[in-house]
Amino acid sequence: MSKPLIGILVGAVLGAFDGLTAWFTPAVRDQLAGIVVSSTFKGIIAGIAIGFFAKKFHSLPLGLLFGLAIGALLAYLTARFAVGGYYFEIMLPGSLVGLIVGFATQKYGRTPVAAHP
Amino acid sequence: MNGRAVWYTCGSMDVDTDIGGAVHRFPVTSHSAIVAAASKDAQVRQRALETIVASYWKPAYKYIRIKWQASNEDAKDLTQSFFATAIEKSYFAGYDASKASFQTFFRTCLDRFVANQKKSDRRLKRGAGSEHLPLDFAGAESELASNLPGAEMNPEEFFQREWVRSLFTLSVDALEELYKKTGRELQFKIFERYDLQESSEGKVSYGSLANEFGLKTTDVTNYLAAARRDFRKILLEKVRELTGTEAEFQAEVRSLGIDLK
Amino acid sequence: MRSLSDQKLDRLRRIATQPDFSGTKYRLIRELGHGGMGTVYLAEDSDLNREVAVKVLNASADEAALSRRMVREAQIIARLEHPGIVPVHDVGVLADGRVFYAMKLIRGERLDKYITNVASLKDRLRKFQAACDAVSFAHAHGVIHRDLKPQNIMIGTFGEVLVVDWGVAKILPPGMTEQDASEAETLRLLPGRHSDEQQRQEHADETTHGTIIGTAKYMSPEQQRGEIDELDQRSDVYSLGAILYFLLTNRAPAAIRPREVDAKVSKAAEAVCLKAMSVSSADRYASAADLGADVARLLNDEPVSAYRENWLEKVWRWLNKNRVLVLIVLAYLLVRIFFLFSPWR
Repeated sequence: MSKPLIGILVGAVLGAFDGLTAWFTPAVRDQLAGIVVSSTFKGIIAGIAIGFFAKKFHSLPLGLLFGLAIGALLAYLTARFAVGGYYFEIMLPGSLVGLIVGFATQKYGRTPVAAHP
Repeated sequence: MNGRAVWYTCGSMDVDTDIGGAVHRFPVTSHSAIVAAASKDAQVRQRALETIVASYWKPAYKYIRIKWQASNEDAKDLTQSFFATAIEKSYFAGYDASKASFQTFFRTCLDRFVANQKKSDRRLKRGAGSEHLPLDFAGAESELASNLPGAEMNPEEFFQREWVRSLFTLSVDALEELYKKTGRELQFKIFERYDLQESSEGKVSYGSLANEFGLKTTDVTNYLAAARRDFRKILLEKVRELTGTEAEFQAEVRSLGIDLK
Repeated sequence: MRSLSDQKLDRLRRIATQPDFSGTKYRLIRELGHGGMGTVYLAEDSDLNREVAVKVLNASADEAALSRRMVREAQIIARLEHPGIVPVHDVGVLADGRVFYAMKLIRGERLDKYITNVASLKDRLRKFQAACDAVSFAHAHGVIHRDLKPQNIMIGTFGEVLVVDWGVAKILPPGMTEQDASEAETLRLLPGRHSDEQQRQEHADETTHGTIIGTAKYMSPEQQRGEIDELDQRSDVYSLGAILYFLLTNRAPAAIRPREVDAKVSKAAEAVCLKAMSVSSADRYASAADLGADVARLLNDEPVSAYRENWLEKVWRWLNKNRVLVLIVLAYLLVRIFFLFSPWR
């Protein structure tokens, strides 16, 4: 399985899970479906970006850092457009999800072999 | 060889590897005069004792002079009477290889003998009933005077050094005798000129020796290599004669490589 | 009467003890170490302008059996071309009649000294695995070492691992008996080698049943009993297991389990060690390669063949192996739980 694909899968799963945790916030419970969909979508986007990064750069610290950054960025954008201003509550877990995807793509997945001249 | 000698690993410089195990650690070497000194055959015993005396009398004399501070006359008497007593009472037949090296055993016997002699003051006087060995004490004294031990050298180290000197001297003599018998006096002369020269005598080279003896340089190289090879062989045979076990032999050969100064 | 001064004595001692390299391309520099069979010297190869180690037999070529054994040692090592086995460059007879062979100079230290500076278990296991690779290679070529111990494993300055001192190694050609194997060995170096009488002499030189070879603490039980005919790769596996014991516990092998010496030794590592050191050769790893494979699994936090984990141990091992991931996930869950009960909500 390639690294981008790992990124997509892990990102989607974690994104969906992350979205589902919104159920514990009564104020947004009625928007749960939308939150789950957008969170899953966010996870897939993050996964693609982080997966391609892992394909290019084989470094766990760099992968974690990039994952953290992408997760934080996408979480920020989500919080920006979400109602309620739950920046902290969205960005912190979102960053950690990015971190997990970063780890998964660096550790697992097929590393492409360089072509011989 | 029957594969039952003691072997040592060399790559690791470790001496634990053993072929044969404890049972086979002390094989009897057929050329050992130490072992032959306990023989029931009188002729074998006699030859063995002659070998031991030839190798040990000088170190014994010098040791008595230095450790026991004996005068040259007293040391002469003590050396003669020690060997006479040792032969008469078969001291060397009582040597046990598992306890110590023969050298240590010899030195211990000598020390005890001299201590007893000094205590009882019943020293055997020259000509008093015991057989005298024809030994060149004057030469030994002269040699001692040229090679006195330094302050840092203890008597045991001194004894070891003089034993080595005696061993090497006998080996050189044996080489000379062999080469005389086999018509190779020239080869011995070359060995003597190159390897036994004092540095004060000026540097000798293969080329200068070749000129001196009217030979080719390659001949000098070959003669020297052959003489060294034979010298080494004789020396090892002598060490083997004077050690009781293979382990002791190996230890003595190794100790020859240590700077004694 | 001849009298030798200290100076003459010194010179003669050098002549007697140091090898005469005249006629060879080697120039003696100094002694590196010695054992009963030979002494190893640092020498310079004047043709290639490099330093080499030269092992010289402590006897003249007249002591035929020893000379044959030394040449055989060189030939055994020379046929084993592997990064973990010291390469032999040359073999011959010196002007003083002694057999020698020249090999790569290993700059480094013995394994037993190396681990005094290296506490990391992973590093020790990596070195051990490399040693297993080298021994496995030798086995694949029908050679058993018979004297494996920490002192016979060198760690080079670049971290490379070399198995040294093949002085008592044995060649076991497949499908041949030991007798056939010894007669099949050819020593072309020493003159007059090919007569029937000399072949018989060589066969007589070979270690016979009842002879004990090796170093006691690291020797397999069958070796300790002198059962030469029973020795095969698994005897070396035992010795490797004993070395593993040493690496795990910092002590020479003894009749107590590694975990009793040091409770920090994992159950899996202990199991690998004890399997290799099984009293019965049938219970050991079949080969050094199998042992090396299990050690590789230990290094990768994977389950080993020598130890069956229960489910709890499996989970714990997985968690251990994926510590970073577990921590991040835990952090995420903690954050989520924190926000669940946070007064800010």
